[in-house]
Amino acid sequence: MTISVETIEAKSADNRSPVDTRRKGRLNPVVAYLLRRLGIYLLTLWGAITLSFLFFRLIPGDPISAFVTSMESQGRYGAGDSSEQVVEYYRQQFGLDGTLLEQYLRYMERVVFHFDFGPSLVSYPTPSTDLIMRALPWTLGLVGAATILSWVIGVLLGTLLGWTRSSWISRWSTNLSLGVSHIHAYFIALLFVYAFAYWNPWLPASGAYDARIEPGWSLDFIGSIIKHGTLPVLSIALVGATGWMISTRALVVAILGEDYLTFAAAKGLSRWRILTRYVMRNAWLPQVAALGITLGGVVGGSVLIENLFRYPGLGALLVNALGVRDLNTAQAVVSLLIVFVLTANLIIDLLLPLLDPRVRQHR
Amino acid sequence: MAFINTWRQSGQFRFGVIVLSLLILMGVFHQLLIRLHIGDTDPRQIGAFGILESPSWAHPFGTDPYGRDWLAMNLLGLPSSLLVAGIAGLISTVIGAVVGFVSGYKGGKTDASLRTMTDMLLVIPTLPLILTLGAYARGLSVLELALVLAAFSWPFAARVIRSQVLSLRERPYVELSKISDLKDRQIIFQDILPNMMPYLGIGLATSSVGAAFALVGLTIIGLAPSGVLDLGTLLSLALEWGALSLQQWTLFFAPMTLLILLFLGAAFISQGLEQVYNPRLRGQQ
Amino acid sequence: MATHTPTEATGSGVIPVSDPARREPVLTIEDLDVHFPANDGSVARVVDRLRLTVNRNEIIGIAGESGSGKTTLVEAILGISRFPNRRLNGRVLFETRTRGQVDLATISARQMRRLRLEEIAYIPQGSMNSLNPVLRVGDQIADGMIDHGVPAGQARGRVPELLERVGLEARVARLFPHELSGGMKQRVIIAIAIAMSPSLIVADEPTTALDVNVQRRILETLARLRDEMQVAIMLVSHDMAVHAQLVDRVGIMYAGQIVETGEVREAVKRPMHPYTAGLMQAIPSIDRPRARMEGIRGATPSPRNWPEGCRFHDRCPRAMPVCRTIPPLLAEPVAGRREGVTGPVDVIAGRQVACHLYPESTPPEARSDGSGRPAATTEAAR
Repeated sequence: MTISVETIEAKSADNRSPVDTRRKGRLNPVVAYLLRRLGIYLLTLWGAITLSFLFFRLIPGDPISAFVTSMESQGRYGAGDSSEQVVEYYRQQFGLDGTLLEQYLRYMERVVFHFDFGPSLVSYPTPSTDLIMRALPWTLGLVGAATILSWVIGVLLGTLLGWTRSSWISRWSTNLSLGVSHIHAYFIALLFVYAFAYWNPWLPASGAYDARIEPGWSLDFIGSIIKHGTLPVLSIALVGATGWMISTRALVVAILGEDYLTFAAAKGLSRWRILTRYVMRNAWLPQVAALGITLGGVVGGSVLIENLFRYPGLGALLVNALGVRDLNTAQAVVSLLIVFVLTANLIIDLLLPLLDPRVRQHR
Repeated sequence: MAFINTWRQSGQFRFGVIVLSLLILMGVFHQLLIRLHIGDTDPRQIGAFGILESPSWAHPFGTDPYGRDWLAMNLLGLPSSLLVAGIAGLISTVIGAVVGFVSGYKGGKTDASLRTMTDMLLVIPTLPLILTLGAYARGLSVLELALVLAAFSWPFAARVIRSQVLSLRERPYVELSKISDLKDRQIIFQDILPNMMPYLGIGLATSSVGAAFALVGLTIIGLAPSGVLDLGTLLSLALEWGALSLQQWTLFFAPMTLLILLFLGAAFISQGLEQVYNPRLRGQQ
Repeated sequence: MATHTPTEATGSGVIPVSDPARREPVLTIEDLDVHFPANDGSVARVVDRLRLTVNRNEIIGIAGESGSGKTTLVEAILGISRFPNRRLNGRVLFETRTRGQVDLATISARQMRRLRLEEIAYIPQGSMNSLNPVLRVGDQIADGMIDHGVPAGQARGRVPELLERVGLEARVARLFPHELSGGMKQRVIIAIAIAMSPSLIVADEPTTALDVNVQRRILETLARLRDEMQVAIMLVSHDMAVHAQLVDRVGIMYAGQIVETGEVREAVKRPMHPYTAGLMQAIPSIDRPRARMEGIRGATPSPRNWPEGCRFHDRCPRAMPVCRTIPPLLAEPVAGRREGVTGPVDVIAGRQVACHLYPESTPPEARSDGSGRPAATTEAAR
C-alpha cells in the first residue's frame, strides 16, 4: 500500500518528445495535405467538365438544326440556303462532327488549352468566352459580396444567440431566423423589389449601374454600382445570414458544454476572453470550412436573382442564351460556374490549415 | 410510431405537418373550394370578372388582366406544384436511399466512388443544369419533369441515409445478424430499414423542397413545360404582367405565399425529425 | 506512506497531530446543501448537510462511489455549475490570503472569478478535453494569469518555469493540445493550476483517464508540489488506491454526505463505518491473502429519495433498528465502542464517523442508555 515517491523511475514515458514521434523522411503533413487537396480538385474539375460535356451532348433535340432555324428566323439566310451544307458547316464550326470521343477530345483541347467555347449565338459571331468574361465580374461581385456579408453577420449574430441561449429574445430570434432561412432568396428579392423599388422608389429595380454615367473609376459610377447592387446583395445575404445564424448557434451551444469551457471558467477568465478566444475561435473555424459547401446553392440561386434584377451577370447571360438555344454560351456559363465553385472550395481548403491547427496534424 | 414520437417532441414538426396537411387538403379539394368561391364559373374563363380588380370580399386576391379570379387560379395551380414536388421528392428519395444504402452498407471502394459523386453533385451549382435541361426539353409531362428534377435532388437524401446506415451498421443487433450469417437482404429489411424511417422522411422532405424550388426556377425564367399550370407559372405570369410596377401586389403575393408555405412546411418537418432523431442536434435547439 | 508526512504512525493506536500548521483550516464546509429542483416538483439533494474541513498544507481525499455527489461538491466549492437551477445552502468558508474569510456559497460572481486560479485552482475530471484545441499551450497557461492582473509579458515569461515544475520541457508551450499525450495534457493542467500559487487546489478524478504508470507519476508531481508550495489539495477519486498513495486524510462520501474521515492509513486498515469497510474490501491487495472480492450489495440510492435514518442502512450488513429512523451524526468516536468493531479503537484525534455503532454518533436525545452525554464534536442534528 505504501509507495515511496523516491522509488519511482525518473524517466517518464508520458513525457516523451512529441517531435520524435514524427517519422523522418516522410512528407511534411501540411505539404501532403495541400498536394492531396490539389489532386482532388483537379480530379473533380475534370469530372465536372466531362459530365457537363456529356450533359450538353446528350440533351434531346439537335442543337444545330435549332441553331440554323434560329439563324433563319433572324434573317441571316434566305429560306433556301438552309441546306445540308449549311448544317454541316456549323456542325464543324461548333465541334459537333465525328464520334462522341473525337468531339470530347477536341472539346477538352479547345477549352483547356485555348479557353475557347466556340462562337456564341446571342451575339454571333462574338466568342462565348468574351461574353462570359464580360459577365463574370458582375456575378463574382454579387455572389462574393452577398456571401461575405451573410457569413459575417450570420456568424456574429449566431454566436450571440448561442451565448445568450436561455433568454427569451434568443429563443424568439432563433425560431424566426429558422423560418426565414427556409424561404428562398428569390422570394425575399421579390418582396424587396416591391417594397423598396416600386412601393417606395428608393432604390433601382434593375441593371447593375446607371446607364447615364460613364463607366470608369469615378465616384459616381462606383456609387451607382453600390446602389444597384444593394437589393440583390441584401436579398441573397438575408437568407444566407439566417442559415449561418442557425448553424453557428448550434455550434456555440455545443461548445458551451465542452470540458474546456468549464475549465476556462474555473481558471477565472474574463467573460470577454472566454467568448472571443474559447467560444468564437472554436465555433468559427468549422464555419469557414462550411463556406464552400453553401456556394453552389448561392451561385445557382443568383441565376434567378440576376434575372429578376436584369443584372448583367452570368445568370442573366445563361437565361438569354437558353432563350435562343445558344448551346456554346450556355455550356460556357455552366462550366465557368462549376469551375468558380470548385476553385472557391479549393481556396478555402487551402486556407484552412493556416487557421486551424488540428487540420495541420490530422489530414 | 416515428410520427407520433416526433409529433410529441417537436413543435417544429407539428408546425410543418399542420401547414403541409392544410396545403394538401386544399390541393385535393381544390375543385370544391373553387366552386364554393366562384360558383359554376370556369376559373380559366377569360373575362369572367373585371380586369385587374383590387382585392375585395368577392375576390380576395383580386383579378388578373384577363379578368379571372386570382384566388381560383391559385387553387387551380396548387395541385400541380404539390404533385411535382411530391413525385420528384419520392423518386429522389428512392434514388438517394439506394445510393446511400449501398454506399454505407458496402463501404470500401463502392462507398468511396459513390460518395465522390454525391459530394460533387452537392457542391456544384445544379440549378443552371436544370434550367438548361428545361430549355432544351420542352413539352415534358408532369412525371417526366419530376424525373428530371429528381435526377438532381437525390444527393441530399443519399447523404442523410448513408451516414445513418453507417451508424446503424455498428449497432450490436446488426453485428449479431452478420455473425449469425443472415443474408444481406434480411439484415437490410429486418434490422436496418425499420430504423431508417425518420431518415427517409428527412430525405423526402429535403429533396421535395429542392425539386419544388427547381421547378419554380424553371417557370420563373419562362422555361416551364407548356401546359402545366402550377404556382411557379402563376408567379412568372404575374411578373410578366408587371404586377410589381402596377403595384398589384396580390398577383405575385398569392402564389409566392403558397410556395413559401409549402417550403416551410416540408423544411420544418425535416428539421423536427432531425431534432428528435439526430443525436448530434438533440438538445441544441 | 509518504515521506513528507510529519506525523508517523506508531503501532496501531493513537495518531498524534503534532504539526499545528496542519490543523489550521483553509476551507470549512458547514452543512452544505446542493439541491437541484426538477420540473416535476421533486428535488435532487445531491449534496446534503455535508461537513468537511480542509487544512493548510494537507492533501485530503474524497472517496465514494459514482453518484455520491463528489463532483457536485467540487463544483459547489468552485462556483461552477453545469445546471442552471442549482440551490446552495449552508456555508463554505474559505480563508483568503488578503481579504480574510469569505463564504463561497454567497460570494458574488465577480469576487468568485477573482478567487479562481489566484486562490482556488481546479484540476478537472475530463482533462483529455479540458484544454482549448485551437490555442497554444503556452497561451492557455498565460491567459489565466493575465486575467488576474499579471502583465502579459510577465505572464508569458513564467510559462517555461511552470512547465518545468510539472516535469515538461519549455518548448511544449508552443504546441497545441492535440500534439500532447494524455499525461502531458494533465501536466499542463497542473501547471495552470499552480500558476498563481493558490492556497487550495481542487482535483476531481485527476488521473482517472490515464494508465497506471502515468497516473503514478502525476500523483508524485502533486505530492511534490504540495511540499514545495504549502498548498492544500482536495483530491476527489473513486479509486481508494489513489488515496492510499497520495492523501494524508481521507473523507468517505456516501449519499451526499461525509460518513467517515481520518488519516488515510488508519481508514484503510481499520475502517470504522461499515460502508468504508465495504469499499476497502473491494480493493485487491497484495498485503492480504487473496480473498473473494466483496462489493457492497445493492445500488447507490437516488438523490431524489434518500433513505430515512442512516442512508446506508438498507445496504448495511450491520444495520440496527435505530439506523432506520435516526440519522447518525459525524462525531469523534472514543474508547468504549460497541461490539464487533474491526480492530481496536482508541481515542483517535481527527477521526470522525457517522454510524450508530459508535454511541457518539447517535444524537443524545435518541440514545438508548439515556446518558445524555454530549457528542464529542460540534455536530448538527437533523
